Amino acid sequence: MKDIRFDGVGKTFTTRGGAACVVLHDIDLTVQAREFVAVVGPSGSGKTTLLRMAAGLDQPSAGEVRVGGRRVTGPGPDRAVVFQHFALFPWKTVRQNIAFGLRCQGASRARQTVAVDRYLALMGLDDAADRYPSQLSGGMQQRVALARSYAIEPDVLLMDEPFGALDAQTRTVMQEELIRLSRQEPRTVLFITHAVEEAVYLADRVVVLAHDPGRLREIVDIGPTRAAEAWNTRPIHEVMELPSFTHLRTRLWRLLRDQIRPGN
Amino acid sequence: MLVVLGLWWTLTSGCGLIDPNRFPDPAETWAALQQILTPGYAGGTLVQQAWASTRLVLLGFAVAVTTGVPLGALMGLSRRAESLLNPAFLLLRPIPPLAWIPLAVVWLGLGDGAKILVIWIAAFVPCVINTWTGVRGADLTLVAAARVHGADPVRVLLEVILPGALPMIFTGLRLSLQACWTTLVAAELVGTLYGLGRVLDSAYRDVNPAMILVAMVTVGLLGAATTRLIAALERGLTPWQV
Repeated sequence: MKDIRFDGVGKTFTTRGGAACVVLHDIDLTVQAREFVAVVGPSGSGKTTLLRMAAGLDQPSAGEVRVGGRRVTGPGPDRAVVFQHFALFPWKTVRQNIAFGLRCQGASRARQTVAVDRYLALMGLDDAADRYPSQLSGGMQQRVALARSYAIEPDVLLMDEPFGALDAQTRTVMQEELIRLSRQEPRTVLFITHAVEEAVYLADRVVVLAHDPGRLREIVDIGPTRAAEAWNTRPIHEVMELPSFTHLRTRLWRLLRDQIRPGN
Repeated sequence: MLVVLGLWWTLTSGCGLIDPNRFPDPAETWAALQQILTPGYAGGTLVQQAWASTRLVLLGFAVAVTTGVPLGALMGLSRRAESLLNPAFLLLRPIPPLAWIPLAVVWLGLGDGAKILVIWIAAFVPCVINTWTGVRGADLTLVAAARVHGADPVRVLLEVILPGALPMIFTGLRLSLQACWTTLVAAELVGTLYGLGRVLDSAYRDVNPAMILVAMVTVGLLGAATTRLIAALERGLTPWQV
């Protein structure tokens, strides 16, 4: 399993008028192999840009991003991205969507079928295998997107607010599913979200970004508490009522609120 | 249908409100249809004339699609191709397709070539413009999703950009086919032995309004039928669309 390292990463965009706009400034961050790191921050703090650079969809203006020690210059089969609005191919069935990455790698028909069947079962999508995405609910669509990314067996999963477009109910279910999935198939995960509760529930560590320019504000360690209280094996509503959970959530809220309040 | 027929009869032969020399009554039109069906008119039966025209339309359409769709895709994919070709389009588009007839005849003579060229000119533009728009409007998130799951540029084009542009491309095909039919008659005026344009021209010279009506309705029906075919093809090729 590979780690992700951001070394002095900065990103500057040039606006149409020619003015430079600093989106991210001097980010140093390492996501350890098999670690689940969530990134929270106010809008405009460059969360998504951070993820796109790890995916190889954007290039840093300063510093470098390394995955498994190798400098990222473009997308690669060791990293898969789950997008906020699912980004499923509307003209492909569920089965064809999940098989897409494997086909790109030139996997044999037999291997594709085995992998697709496995993820259909794992995500509870058996009945939807031959439907088109437009015939599925949002939650189902995001399951397909997760399956599509897991199917190429990447070392690193990059998730860009994957549950942001779902309703509250579905969202909770998906959060539990993701915990279950990451227990069964641990990956190195970089998870972008604006929901503090989600970050605390899912992550080993939560990174708080400050904005204008986007920079590292603080890193909050959740892992020890999660392990000590066995969060991963308990239902989500139970975890969210634990004093330790509410304490961590409040701490993160405060950090974020300080960002948003003017003059800070 | 019956109401239209009844109204038609009443206005023409019924109360004589419309002069039969200006607009034919149902009986005359029926006779004209019989005439062109069995002995034929202007050198051929209706089936022969209709097939001659349909053949030209299909050939012109095929050339327009096979040239227009790839060119539109190229313009949608490459800024360079777009900035190179767009000025030419701006210049050529205001010229009516019929204005090309003299040049087409000078270049290709009086055979099918000139007619196909004129039909192609009319049908080519909607193919290019709509494919171009469809390809340019590709969903960039889907392109990114394909890339991060390992797709090379060819696969991105074939499995993401083109399927996404397909509804727009089909809009182009429909408009293009209509343009084929509307320029057909004019193209046949270039000089032809067979075709519905020939029938119209002869009927005009013979002052035979009934035959003009038969030819016009035939063009309309054939145009509608071929448009239906395109729609069926679209439904078959885009099963994900509800």
